[in-house]
Amino acid sequence: MQNTDPFSHPQFREYLGNSPAFQQMLLENGQPDPHWSTFFTSYFRLGEDEIVSRNNDILRLLRENGVTYNIHGDPSGLNRPWKIDIIPFLINRNEWNKIEAGLRQRTELMNFILTDIYGEQSLIKNGIVPMELVYNHPGFLRECAGIKLNSKKSLVLYSADLARSTDGSLWVVNDRTQAPSGSGYALENRTTMTRVIPELFDGLKVRHLSPYFNALREGLASTAPSQARNPRIVILTPGASNETYFEHSFLSSYLGFTLVHGNDLIVKENYVWLKTLGGLEKVDVILRRVDDVFCDPVELREDSQLGIPGLLQVVRKGNVGIANPLGSGILENPGLMPFLQQIARFHFSEDLILPTIASWWCGQPDEMNYVLNHLSTLVVKRINRSSAGSSAIDGAALSADQLKGLQQQIRANPTLYVGQEKVEISYTPSLINGKIEPRKVLFRNFLVSNGDSYTAMAGGLCRTSSEAGNFLISNQLGGFSKDAWVISPEPGRVIHSLKEVSDTTTTTFNSMLPSHAAENLFWVGRYTERVLGNCRFLRTVMQFLAEGNKLKTYNNEQTERNLLEAFTRYSYTFPGFTGKEKEEKFAEPWKEIRDILFNEKRIGGISNTFKSFHRAIYEVRDHWSTDTWRVIRAVEEELHPEPGTQQTHLQMLHTLDDLITSMVAFIGLNRESISREQGWIMLDLGRKIEQSLLLINMLKATMTGYSSEQLEYNLMQAVLMSNENLINYRYKYRLPVQNTLVLDLMLFDPNNPRSLTYQIERLRAHLQNLPKNIPGHALTDYERLILEADTLMKLVQKKELTEPDNQTRTYKKLNEFLEKLYDLLSAIPGMVSKTYFKHEVTTQPMVMLR
Amino acid sequence: MNYSIRHTTSYTYHEPVGICHNIARLIPRNTAHQNCTKREISISPEPSMMNEFIDFFGNHVIYFSVDKEHSKLVVTVNTEVEKTRTLDPTPESVSHVSVEETIEEMQQPGLETATIRQFAFATPMTQWNDEIAAYAAESFPDGRTVLEGSFDLMNRIHLDFTFSSGITTIATPVSEVMKQRKGVCQDFAHLGISCLRSVGLAVRYISGYIETISPKGREKLVGADASHAWFSVYIPGMGWVDFDPTNNQIPGDQHITIGWGRDYADIAPFRGIILSSGTHDLAVAVDVERTT
Repeated sequence: MQNTDPFSHPQFREYLGNSPAFQQMLLENGQPDPHWSTFFTSYFRLGEDEIVSRNNDILRLLRENGVTYNIHGDPSGLNRPWKIDIIPFLINRNEWNKIEAGLRQRTELMNFILTDIYGEQSLIKNGIVPMELVYNHPGFLRECAGIKLNSKKSLVLYSADLARSTDGSLWVVNDRTQAPSGSGYALENRTTMTRVIPELFDGLKVRHLSPYFNALREGLASTAPSQARNPRIVILTPGASNETYFEHSFLSSYLGFTLVHGNDLIVKENYVWLKTLGGLEKVDVILRRVDDVFCDPVELREDSQLGIPGLLQVVRKGNVGIANPLGSGILENPGLMPFLQQIARFHFSEDLILPTIASWWCGQPDEMNYVLNHLSTLVVKRINRSSAGSSAIDGAALSADQLKGLQQQIRANPTLYVGQEKVEISYTPSLINGKIEPRKVLFRNFLVSNGDSYTAMAGGLCRTSSEAGNFLISNQLGGFSKDAWVISPEPGRVIHSLKEVSDTTTTTFNSMLPSHAAENLFWVGRYTERVLGNCRFLRTVMQFLAEGNKLKTYNNEQTERNLLEAFTRYSYTFPGFTGKEKEEKFAEPWKEIRDILFNEKRIGGISNTFKSFHRAIYEVRDHWSTDTWRVIRAVEEELHPEPGTQQTHLQMLHTLDDLITSMVAFIGLNRESISREQGWIMLDLGRKIEQSLLLINMLKATMTGYSSEQLEYNLMQAVLMSNENLINYRYKYRLPVQNTLVLDLMLFDPNNPRSLTYQIERLRAHLQNLPKNIPGHALTDYERLILEADTLMKLVQKKELTEPDNQTRTYKKLNEFLEKLYDLLSAIPGMVSKTYFKHEVTTQPMVMLR
Repeated sequence: MNYSIRHTTSYTYHEPVGICHNIARLIPRNTAHQNCTKREISISPEPSMMNEFIDFFGNHVIYFSVDKEHSKLVVTVNTEVEKTRTLDPTPESVSHVSVEETIEEMQQPGLETATIRQFAFATPMTQWNDEIAAYAAESFPDGRTVLEGSFDLMNRIHLDFTFSSGITTIATPVSEVMKQRKGVCQDFAHLGISCLRSVGLAVRYISGYIETISPKGREKLVGADASHAWFSVYIPGMGWVDFDPTNNQIPGDQHITIGWGRDYADIAPFRGIILSSGTHDLAVAVDVERTT
């Protein structure tokens, strides 16, 4: 049965109806490409149902791995799940040989142009490149002229978008040199494909991606200052809201390079340093994902908060390598395209192997006239890529008025525009909603300097148009990604698909926890406990409400009121059950509870706190394991029920149960997933601080009021329940619940992991373990505080705490004691922050006087 | 003729600053008309790092950083400059080229024209609109040479605009200055540059000083208390010719050039970044004295 021709499969017959698409799967002699036959034989052997089910597995895996692409201007959700179409883009051996040679030549050419522009300027001197294309391009950073770089190759990374036209020829559509993205997504796609659907690789020798990443290490190392023997490399990210943030953290953990933000780095004494919990560590190489103009506010864009003040000085001194070097944005310049052929002849005395799309730069009168006269059939681009997504304008899509407007713009500033021929992009089969459909594809390839020459990734990232006929292809516009398979024997060795990419995570910066990461881990700890504490207390309150409904006694009603009010105070969800409308809310508490649980905008509510938690874990996403992400996704889904579903209190109780289970699982997973000791300390420090403060708050809200025995009993029972200590209490004291014993258990029992004494002990240990910059045995400010809190706990007259004060009808001493403790403990985070995070300071430009 | 210049920049921070990085362009460059013969830089507190380099335009740049916590930063630059000859065009040196001829010459390929032509493009601080272009065109009727037209434009800016500080800031666009008809020397320089670039000419922004104390019997020049600014036009056959619209004169003896760029941003005397959440104040004092 294996011998049946896959092209006669009914599903394919449907696809065949679209004949131009099929043409792309034929060889020059008209025979079907044997690689496609092999592929579709495996494909149909799996069967339609299996394909759909595996496809769902892939989507699930990508979601669990947190693979996302962030969309600009999407305020609600930070991320969009990554989508992959399992039918790859096939490149045969002959085609690959041409692409590889062509792109290596093009990268060498780009490297030459970059070196020349910032050096001798022979291209301008000899009239090969018009000066306007350089001097008038915002990517030309005069501040970078004349800088001598450490590496042989100025350009370290290069990436090109290729399109296959309907006649089968390949064209370079875009050059990417600023901070090329996508290599991490390509790797993630391949890893996922080999893991979930290895059968598709049967009979095809698909080239591996790993040589590219090995070359990347070498290439980055080659930019390091010569004296750095084991160069320390960091990845500079603009932050979690950047569209490709997933990739930054993915590459960080895959390559073992610390992921840093601009404010994690500092320039001192002509070197770049990483601020870590333990002090400053020298950085030799920066792989930047921040655009160059944002990298140094002292000399470049002074309003940038993403850069490192003084960085250019360090570059000038040759004390840091940056990939790509600052100023490389000048090459992302479609205006250069018409001149590339001449530059190639000038520099290598060679012709271009891969042709560039026919382009006309409007800075020349004849070319401008041509563009103006053929506007409706051309694609028009500005010579600089605008930050707001795609800058290509399809002339065919413009109205007569719009065409006129564009003509005026071009005439006013001709040097800024380029007209390009529109390439008829060929179709390739794609799996769209379970059906094979033709789609246009852009293939992005990646090259990296290995020190001496360039290595191309034998594969890459493909993106398909969101709709069949769409001309513009961009991640911002949606659409699918695709794996690209280069089918050719591996030079040197042949390996089968399954072992493609093993986890080669290395950590070269093991001990270095950037202060930014430390701060976020601290907050992850705090939010974890806050979510958990709120869930547990709310669950206890809800259980009382549900039972109380049955027995409408005075005490029960009073307990309900007190508990609801206490919850408001505990969670800071004011006015809640304390405000003017409290009577209405007491009568119908479920509406308010629903709001606290699900309304993301309700400050202090559970959804809202979870959102803060999520933001914090996302900032340090390279610290979490896949299992952790799965737990997080589960909570997310739990907190976003299908709109319109009526949430009964029983369902809400289930939701809380699940949330609690997930958060506990999260805590359990942390110990194994956070490899760095200091990271763990920061996280646990945050947890213990939060637990202490929450416990004090709860006791203040429930146990300081003096009232009837039954009411006090109910409230104490709630305290024990929401701290999961009721059974513990019964086991330990074997007596009815009474306040001296409850306080003994919750405040002073050193063996109870939920007691305040226990938290303070852990806090003390963690604070002692933080790296210190002060000499000898002197205590830090926060150590003083914790010592004072500890002493207060040890010296307090326990008996006085349960003596009621008849005048105020409170346990006044208890209240004072708790308040004092709260003041001491709540001051610690600020001090830790001041010592280790220092994020309250921002860089600001100094005012200038003219 | 020799000058002694003392330029003091003082920043007072309302909250202590841990780190600052600064770039100063305060050392006059050597030109065909002047030599900087002496310079002393004193910075308080002591900077942890100081580098000097020459920027893309050939200007002298000082970079320094202060690492220790400080509440006040004072930078004093003392320089001595020897003026070798004046810039006044002599009858023999006057060029009679037109705007068209100038543009054509600048279009020649090669690095030399490229470095001139880069001063012919609009920059963020020298954007022009129709109003500015029309204002400029009035100075260039048919048959006017570049020299005459530039002189005329300088003269008109001086007459039509009022020197008045406190109305404009660094962020005020030229179009606003055009409307208000008020500003300071930097505004007039930017306006002149925008006008002349709208015509197609290459124009530089010059940062510099003018003599503070005038010789007896001569009026004190405007803009003497701080750094001064004017513009310079490329004229084939003459090279770069300076014009000071604030004082309506072709700079000569009393003008000292620090350096040049496409606009203020390229040659700002002092810029810096501090790591701080607080605000700060700035005071600048300049003294320019004739020594011989």
